[in-house]
Amino acid sequence: MPATTVERLDAARQELSAEAARGQGGRGALERFADRFDALLRDVFADAPRPPTDVAVCALGGYGRRRLCLHSDVDVLLLFDGPIRDGDERFVRAFLHPLWDLRLVVGHQVREVGEFARLETDNPTFLLALLDARVVIGNRSLFDRAAASLETAHARAQILHSLWQLIDERHAGFNDTLYQLEPDIKDAPGALRDLNALRTIARLTDPALLDRGPTDCERLDEAEEFLSRIRSILHLESRRNHNTLSHELQERSAQAMQYAGDEPRQRVERLMSDYFRHARAISRALEWARQTAPAPAGANLVRSRDGIRFVDLQYARAHPESWLGVFQTAVDAESPVAYNTLAWMQQHADRYAAEDFFPTPADRSALLAFLKPRPGLYARLSEMHDCGLLGRMFPEFAAISCRVVRDFYHKYTVDEHTLLTIRNLERLAARATPGRERFATLLADLPAPELLVLALLFHDVGKWRDEDHASESVRMARQMLERLQLPPASRDVVEFLIRHHLRMSVAAFRRDTEDPEIVRQFAELVGIEDQLKMLCLMTLVDVEAVSLETMTPWREELLWRLYVDTYNQLTIGYGDEVIDRSQSDLADLLARGPAAVSESEITRFVEGLPRRYLRLFTPEAVYRHVQLSRDIQPDHVHAALEQKGPVWELTVVTLDKPFLFSNICGVLSSFGMDILRGHALTNPNGLVLDHFQFTDQERFLALNADGREHLVRALEEAVSGQVDIAGRVRVREQSVLYRRTGVPRFAPIIHCDNHASRRYTILDIIANNALGLLHRISRVISRHGCDVDLVLIATEGEKAIDVFHITADGNKLAEAAVTALTADLTHMLEGGREVD
Amino acid sequence: MKLIKAVVRPNKVDEVKEALAKLSISGMTVTEVRGHGKQKGHTAVYRGKEYNVSLLPKMEIEVVVQDGIVDEVIAAIIQAARTGEIGDGRVFVIPVDQAYRIRTGEREVI
Repeated sequence: MPATTVERLDAARQELSAEAARGQGGRGALERFADRFDALLRDVFADAPRPPTDVAVCALGGYGRRRLCLHSDVDVLLLFDGPIRDGDERFVRAFLHPLWDLRLVVGHQVREVGEFARLETDNPTFLLALLDARVVIGNRSLFDRAAASLETAHARAQILHSLWQLIDERHAGFNDTLYQLEPDIKDAPGALRDLNALRTIARLTDPALLDRGPTDCERLDEAEEFLSRIRSILHLESRRNHNTLSHELQERSAQAMQYAGDEPRQRVERLMSDYFRHARAISRALEWARQTAPAPAGANLVRSRDGIRFVDLQYARAHPESWLGVFQTAVDAESPVAYNTLAWMQQHADRYAAEDFFPTPADRSALLAFLKPRPGLYARLSEMHDCGLLGRMFPEFAAISCRVVRDFYHKYTVDEHTLLTIRNLERLAARATPGRERFATLLADLPAPELLVLALLFHDVGKWRDEDHASESVRMARQMLERLQLPPASRDVVEFLIRHHLRMSVAAFRRDTEDPEIVRQFAELVGIEDQLKMLCLMTLVDVEAVSLETMTPWREELLWRLYVDTYNQLTIGYGDEVIDRSQSDLADLLARGPAAVSESEITRFVEGLPRRYLRLFTPEAVYRHVQLSRDIQPDHVHAALEQKGPVWELTVVTLDKPFLFSNICGVLSSFGMDILRGHALTNPNGLVLDHFQFTDQERFLALNADGREHLVRALEEAVSGQVDIAGRVRVREQSVLYRRTGVPRFAPIIHCDNHASRRYTILDIIANNALGLLHRISRVISRHGCDVDLVLIATEGEKAIDVFHITADGNKLAEAAVTALTADLTHMLEGGREVD
Repeated sequence: MKLIKAVVRPNKVDEVKEALAKLSISGMTVTEVRGHGKQKGHTAVYRGKEYNVSLLPKMEIEVVVQDGIVDEVIAAIIQAARTGEIGDGRVFVIPVDQAYRIRTGEREVI
């Protein structure tokens, strides 16, 4: 290190220190200090070996603004014109090492110009620092090329968005108040960083913004001068990059800045009074700018007074997949889409095919997320429809645009009727319709309500023809489902809802629903509870969208009763209807079976299981179950575990034995798993198929490579009786994470029914969801000598809803046994100790 | 003239209408109503919770007919609405003293 470099740095520091000590370390002093550093960097640059690739050294952030304080970090960017080679690396080392030898804190970034083609959205502080960048030494044109990428409207919106978030996060760290007794001169609300944020907002949105604000530019300059002087004193006094104006440093600062007063306390009060005055001025100006400037609302999106709009129309034109984001953002922000943006979309929408709007899986997922029913969805869909975008995204929908079908009931065009169904659904989601809580609960229970919205959007598209519109709607929906590449199970749900969207209203309003056969047939049609719930909601909102008068409370009641009767048939009565050889869907299953699974194997496995089994699982899943059941021996467990998004699915095949279900549930609980849904089925040969969906709250399976093997081994040990699983669950329940405290949040409901099923006593239990709940319930049942033959497990929010089909010695329970069991279960669910 | 008021199961309305049409009666008033007779509702269970369904949905059909065909109309309604189960409904016959046409204010001849 040449002595001159050290000396020049010392000289620069002494000069700024002297000014700081006099309370004069303001903007001018900081600029001069930054200039000294520029000269120093140029010297170091000149001494380093020349790199083979063209390079520019740029000052970033505060240094870039020439606001370098005594012990500030020196943030620099080394920008190369192409891939970095060995010689370039030698240059980087030769440039940085002397700076480190000077004990400077250098924040350095090394980039190629080409990297700036893509905005580093995951590094917002770097993006902001770049805004203040300037070339110190090297090829200026490199910097100009890199900076050009920040000049697009899209990049500006992105940076603004990041700045907004950073401000919020920083302010939250100060409890969102500027009135700090020991303020951070750099980061606190109303301090230097806010002032810089304010100027950045103006620069990115409207440079004239500051002239219109509550605090004029001169006043802001004055505030900056004051804060800079104090900051210089803080660095001088603490000999490091320290920016907190502590009580002790307040006294020294007041003295250095020559505040009047006989006592230190008086001088400090005057200093802090000035501080708060300046901080208030900055804070007020920033708040005003945030309210006035178009607020960043997402990638290439801002929120103006008239709604959400694109920033960079050229970018939007090149990226039609970004258009949905406008409406998604508008729903999130509870704002309309700006008229100009809608007009622009109307002008350009017909340039694109439907596929252009959803080219990637992420875009298609975004569409489904957008379709989740919530306030604002109808309004945004209507905007999309009015500007022609909905018809471009879904050409099938264009077929019913302003379509008039004359009948006695409908009062609106088919497209508007369709959109109104979605409005009615979103009102349910918002619980905005009094008296509809029971239907709102159904909607809240749905795991994928967006499929219902998709079905509603397409349920009447077939009305462009005059006959059999449901079949035509299904045909047209298939095209859309193909484009969106939905998973087969989701496609089936959407097709089912569209095909049968009139069936529930016919059954509820025009059939004798007091007749159990009508209910049974309807239950056979819907198959499983989620489809029933969706069809019920679809019927409600569809009939309501016909006209204001169509869905009367009277009809609502009829619909609800059919729903309840069908739900009970599905969850309680299903055990009586078992698969037999004559069943047509069994024939289909056998015909489609893979070569690896024989017909006799399939028949042996499914015969005697409830018919519901074939509705719950796809044929492929059934074949896997059959394969799992091969060579099963007493006490053996054949299990399959797979992850589906945030949820894990466990399939267990084993042979029935006392306490089996309780032990399997216990194993999951002992690993901290939260069981969400599931089914337990037993066939007449004693073969048990349990299927669970659970979340791994402690991330045991994600964090442990051998976690799956652990879990399956624990299942084997529990089923074979090698471990006391109840003891393990008890230990887990005692953990501070899961300990049950006091009274349950709502009283548990236990309903025992000995009449609904020919074969089983039905136990319906609604209780607070808690770790080990299923294990405890089924343990009590087993302790009463009962067999758990079938179980339906559901979780809705905090509620666990479990339906057990049980027998004792192959028969329904006697009344005395029901009474005793119910009493024990009540005792346990109300928090009582289990009695062995 | 008589006002015939029939309270029937909701799913029987179409059949009653058809039966009345065969007697050339096309004008009628149909109202959604709720109530109970001897049926007195029943207990339903949803998710383990029992609730009493005391007022059952019914449809009320009102027609005004000439005295001469009252019995025929009653028979037609009963035949169409009957299932044999409890809850099939009721038919009431009420004398009508006078009738006016609202549009013209004319008194109708009874």
